[in-house]
Amino acid sequence: MKTLYVEGDTFLHRLSPRAKLLGLAALSLVLFLVRSPAVLSVAALLGGIVYSSLRLGWRQSWLRLRPVLLTIAVVALFTLVFNGRHDTLVVVTRLTALALFAAAMTATTSTGDFIDEITRLAMPLERLGLVRAADIGLSIGLVIRFVPEILSRYQAIRDAHRARGLKVRPLTLAVPLIILTLKNADEIAAAIDARGIRAQK
Amino acid sequence: MTTRDLVLAALFAAIIVALGLVPPIMLGFIPVPITAQSLGVMLAGVILGARRGGFAVFLVLLLVAIGLPVLSGGRGGLATFVSPTAGYLVGWFFAAVIAGYCSERFVERSQSGIVQITGFFLAALLGGVVVDHALGVIYLAYVTGTGLSTAFIGDLSFVPGDVLKAMIAALAGRAVMVGYPLLPQRA
Repeated sequence: MKTLYVEGDTFLHRLSPRAKLLGLAALSLVLFLVRSPAVLSVAALLGGIVYSSLRLGWRQSWLRLRPVLLTIAVVALFTLVFNGRHDTLVVVTRLTALALFAAAMTATTSTGDFIDEITRLAMPLERLGLVRAADIGLSIGLVIRFVPEILSRYQAIRDAHRARGLKVRPLTLAVPLIILTLKNADEIAAAIDARGIRAQK
Repeated sequence: MTTRDLVLAALFAAIIVALGLVPPIMLGFIPVPITAQSLGVMLAGVILGARRGGFAVFLVLLLVAIGLPVLSGGRGGLATFVSPTAGYLVGWFFAAVIAGYCSERFVERSQSGIVQITGFFLAALLGGVVVDHALGVIYLAYVTGTGLSTAFIGDLSFVPGDVLKAMIAALAGRAVMVGYPLLPQRA
């Protein structure tokens, strides 16, 4: 799995993940309170400048932003039909600004930094006894580790269907996939405990 | 949570991610392709129960937030959380928890097959369709400033597909319960 993070040494790369997260949260609050198209357009333009300062190239930028821009376009069309031009302008500029800043944040923060930050943010929850902060990093590692395995299992089940001349249906595919995968849980859990990874403090 | 619970949730999160990578399945009788990811969310609740299912979906959302393209079509990153349809995405967590909670309430191992399937279907429907779509519609209406009713009309076209997924989730949930029971029992 390839992350959306891009190596680099821009100002945004050097900024701490916490500052970026808090900044993005504050920005989204402000953008939702502002209703002036002029201010929102300036914000969208700023977002564009920040994003282009990452020097991703046109093609890369388009590929990354396409899904969210398409959604915005559909919503804009909807708003135009039901609410008129002014509202559409507000919605489009606001959402585009947010999408650009969020995408810039994603492109400049590595997965490892994010996990460290999330673990730190979960510390208060740990004190409340809700979760163990270190478990979050461990689980994320587990998910990334097992996705390729599940995909190859999916292919094996599909091939088994073909070999028997059966039609591939969601149900006959999902059930064996889930049971086969979850049956591994005991072994994996035993392996984790045997290595003392989740040792009690 | 025991280590086993943690691993089960992580494995299910991996299943949900993998379901986003496989090509959408075409069903004969409706023209829209079925993207399997929201089916995975219902399955997480129905199979693992509220706590572990909720944690599995939480992990998927966390992966999205930290910039891995794990949603169907290679979407990911924080931008998906500020897009107009973010309500549906965040709603996944509540969908899994509600579907899990209801499954624990409605379904018992001693019941007959048809009762179990009905119980699972209602649970998946409540979580995956009612709760998720309600949150999605509310956020969409709020973001765009269109009224709730307009957003609701736009939402309606996605309801039949999700009802169908709830049906598949119910059948799969019962099949997994027979083959490898995991759902915690709640009196």
